[in-house]
Parts: sequence; C-alpha cells; structure tokens
Amino acid sequence: MLEVIARGTGEFKPPDPDGFRAHVRDHKERRLVSKLVSERDAVARFVSDGDYLAYDLNIAYRGPGSLFREVIRQKKKDLWVMAKFTWTDVSLLIAGGCVSKVDVGWMEFGPILNRAVKDGSVKLMEWSNGALAYRLLAGSLGVPYLPMRYLGGTDTFEQSGAILTEDPYTHKPVCAVPALNPDVALIHAHQADMYGNTRIFGAGVSPVEMAMASKRVIVSAEEIIDPLEIRKQPQRTTIPYYFVDAVVHAPFGSYPGSTQGLYAADLEQWLAFAAAGAMGKTDEYLENWVYSVSSHQEMLEKRVGEAKLQALRDADTLKEGYYD
Amino acid sequence: MTDSESPTVSFTDIEATICHISHMIEEDKLYFVQMAGAPLMALLLGKRLRAPNVGYVVEEGAVCPDPEFPLPRMMLGSSGTHFRAVQWTSMLAVDTHAALGFMDYGLLAALQVDRFGNFNSTFIGGTYEQPERRFGGPGGANEIASQCWRTIIMTKLQKRKFVERCDFISSPGYLDGTPGARERAGLPPGTGPWRIVTAEATFGFNDTTHEMRLDALAPWTSVDEVLAQMEFRPQVADKVDVMQPPGEQELKMIRADIDPGGFSTGKGDWLTIDVATGKRIA
Repeated sequence: MLEVIARGTGEFKPPDPDGFRAHVRDHKERRLVSKLVSERDAVARFVSDGDYLAYDLNIAYRGPGSLFREVIRQKKKDLWVMAKFTWTDVSLLIAGGCVSKVDVGWMEFGPILNRAVKDGSVKLMEWSNGALAYRLLAGSLGVPYLPMRYLGGTDTFEQSGAILTEDPYTHKPVCAVPALNPDVALIHAHQADMYGNTRIFGAGVSPVEMAMASKRVIVSAEEIIDPLEIRKQPQRTTIPYYFVDAVVHAPFGSYPGSTQGLYAADLEQWLAFAAAGAMGKTDEYLENWVYSVSSHQEMLEKRVGEAKLQALRDADTLKEGYYD
Repeated sequence: MTDSESPTVSFTDIEATICHISHMIEEDKLYFVQMAGAPLMALLLGKRLRAPNVGYVVEEGAVCPDPEFPLPRMMLGSSGTHFRAVQWTSMLAVDTHAALGFMDYGLLAALQVDRFGNFNSTFIGGTYEQPERRFGGPGGANEIASQCWRTIIMTKLQKRKFVERCDFISSPGYLDGTPGARERAGLPPGTGPWRIVTAEATFGFNDTTHEMRLDALAPWTSVDEVLAQMEFRPQVADKVDVMQPPGEQELKMIRADIDPGGFSTGKGDWLTIDVATGKRIA
C-alpha cells in the first residue's frame, strides 16, 4: 500500500481501467467499416451532455475548429473540458454555454472566462499541460495512475487531484496523477481513410495517447485518402482505425487555426473573437460564425470565402517535411 | 534616429529583457522553452547572434528547430517556427527529455515571483475561488521549472510582481527555501530557479538560503531604484554587475525577423537611453 504524504483537493473522475476495458469490449468497432459521417452526425452521435471532452491542440494551431463549432451549434451542455495547451477555444465553448468544468493546463484568458469563474458557472481544476498529458498517457496504458517528477510543492498540486507518495522502489517522495479516460476526443488530422486510419504530420501535443485513452474518438481530416495508401506507407499512420469512431471530412477544419503544410492561421478572425469578448458581443460572433450557418462547409463559403482561403494557403509556404 | 551613429537608442522593457536573456544563451546546452512568446524570442535572438547551433525544445514537440525568418505574427505551431527540426514529436516526449535531465535550462515568463523564485501564472488578487483577475494557468511552466537543471524566468520589475507571497504558486521555485524542500515535494534534486530577468535588473539565488539576490543592473538604474520596485528586500550581491544595454543590431533583429512589426515586443513601456553613458533620457 502506498503511503500518501499529501493529496490535492481538486475533483477528478476516479480512474477505472477495468471499466474502460469493458467499454472497449462492448462498444469499440473492430471491423473495417466506413466511419465517414458528417460533422453533424458525428457530434450528435458521439458527444453527449455531461461528457468529459478532450481535444488535441487548439483554435490557433491544428485544433478541431469545425468540431468546436458543431458542438456549440448542437448546444451541448455541462461538458468537462480538458484545457491542455489550449487557446481561446475554451472561452469559445464557454460562450456557447457548453462547459461546466475545466481541467486547466493552459488556456487564453479573457472576459468570458473571468465572468464564468466569478459567477460560478464554470468550475476550474488545476493541473499543467504536461500533467494532463501524463494523465492521458496513464489512460492510454490501461493503468490507474502514473508517477511523475513535478506538480509537488505548489498550489497547483493543492488544487489538482494529484498525490505525493513514497515511491515503493526508491523510497523517495514522488508525485502521482490519476489516469484520465475522456468520454470523447476531437482530433484534427491531415489525412484519414474511411476506416479511421489517421495521419498527422508535424509536431503536436498528445494525439496518440488521447485517441487511445478516450472512449469515443472523432477525427476530422483535411483529406480522405484511399485505404491502400495507408497500407503502402504504414509508418506514416499516427492512429490505427480501431481507436477511431467517426471520420469527418473537413478541409480547413482547423480554421481559424493553421494546419502545418497546408494553410496559415487567420489572425484577423481569431482577433475578432477576442474583440467580441472584450466588447460583450460574443452573441453576435456566435450567431455569425456558428448558428447562422448549418455546417463548416457553409461557413467557409458564406463567411470566409475562397479568396481568403487561397490567401491562407499561400501564406503557408513551407511544405518541407509535411507532404514530401 | 536609430542608425548606428545616433547618440540615443529607444526600446521597450520587453525588448530589453529579451536582449538580456539572449546574452545568457550557451551553445553547448539544451533549452526547454515555454510556448511561443518572449521567452522563445529571447532564445532565438541568442541563437541568431551568438549561438547558431544551440538546441531547444518547445512544449508542442518540436525538437531543435532551425526556424525560418522572419517569423510569422502567429508563431505558435507555424511551419516556420518548427522548420528544420531534428524531430517532430509530442509534448510527452519532450517532457520526458527534461525528466531524464537532458534540459539544462528552462526559459519561462511569470506574472508574479516571490523571494524563493516560486512563481504565479494562475490568478492575481482576491481568492482562488473568487479571483480579481484569472489567468491562463501554468501551462508547461510547472514541468519546466521542476525538471530542467536551471530555470530562467522573465518578468517585469514592479512591486506587484516581486511579492512577499505569490497569490498562487503555480510553479515551483525553492518552495519555502529550506534545504531539500524541492526533493521533499518529489522534484528532482539539483534543480531550481537560476535567474530572474527584468529590463532593469537580473537576480540570482543564494546557494544556501535560496533567497533571491540582486546580481546585475541596467546602466540606467540604481540599486535603490530597483529595491523600491520590490515588495520584499532581496539580498544584494557584494559586487553588482552592470548589464549591457540593448544594441542596435539586436533591436533590428527583433523588429525585422523575430517579432516583425513589434506585435508583442512593441507593447511594452518605451525608454530612451544615451548610448555613450547608458543613462536614461526619456
């Protein structure tokens, strides 16, 4: 039995590796079947009110921008969101009324977030980017917790669900964090086939561990490729199909963020959201960019326009390493 | 007005801090840099001017990139910022590189710092439950400040930033300063804050008491002026060094290549100094 020296007070979902195994046994598709669906169907089917929602990267950089907007469009409620290396996307989801809890690694702060914390409509739990990634790693390994060499000694630790314990091998104090198995993960990728075999090019945060650790996984992909292409270059596969529940074809799916090797971030659009938050005009912003269009495709056509999309493609001049 | 013949030079406090840190960059060391902002700009200035082959990792998993300049305004995750890395991997991977002891220096920014180098990036004022101003959280700072051998923290020299007690300790310095405090909290031994860098002054830490110590001053300020901007009184080194002020070449490189248009560095407080004397004239 581990001796607990100190224990954080933050709320967390108790790790349940056996429950996760049972979920995999009963619900994860093993067959090679097409999982191609619209963003509307993917979010309607796989995101539920009250879910723990995780996503890789953020609204500035290869995040699932089109899926964020669909979650808001469908007015999902009471989500517990993982803010690991995030940006204004947490504020966007809060503005959409979707969030009740946030696990904080890093998020861009502003008036929307300040108000939600002060009026108690959103509760925060403190971790760090790396600690949340470690929790996903534990979740992806099928173990209940992992020891790690940080968090201890800080107020962050006090507001987290971490423990400080005596390590049974070295007999020195070590921090440990509970495994995290999100209900649903949103991951934006460069390419996927219809079965869910997914390729991500470039650096990132923890898409692999997140896909493995999550009960349901929605992948949005810039391009849907032939399954034979996957089998011809298996080393390029980031996530194999059986972890993935839905594949959504989403060109410019990270918009207004960038996808490396394809297009740059639309800074003006991103600043427009920050400005809307500062001026109390978030409702107008959501109406224009989310509610008044029925899909990501319609938003690109009516609100962004081909000229802007081409300019963003042209602004990302460095393809080396991504597509060669 | 800022050509090499001019008698004065103008810059912001952020630019000055970036220049000071850039002077510390060593080519035979590895750096772990938090996100894409002033700490990364400082590393890149040092890499451009003095240590072209210095290696660094960023939280989002780019290992030792050789970025393409000028950098885009949105540096985070741009293909230019990750250009010609030796590996594109994940946050977990670079985090473990630090856990293994490969990262000599962590480079960070903080909102608030106390005499033992503990720092805050979570909230200012009020209580944790009802903060006056909530901020983004530690991000990767906790793992960087815990696991790198030495941590360099940049902030502003202001009374509300150099405080007796942080409103919230997001990331660890020497904790309560007692010997072994970090180890008792499960952190790797032999690690801790090394320098706190501001535009006007650089601080180190007493090896035994772990208290902050004023080590160096910009030529346009004095010990008394610096102490007046701090809520606590730090130790003062027997010999306080004078820091080199920002040079023309460094400022040109920041403004043309590293933060074109001064999107973030230009937003600081401007000052003008006499180049010959280093004294502030505006």
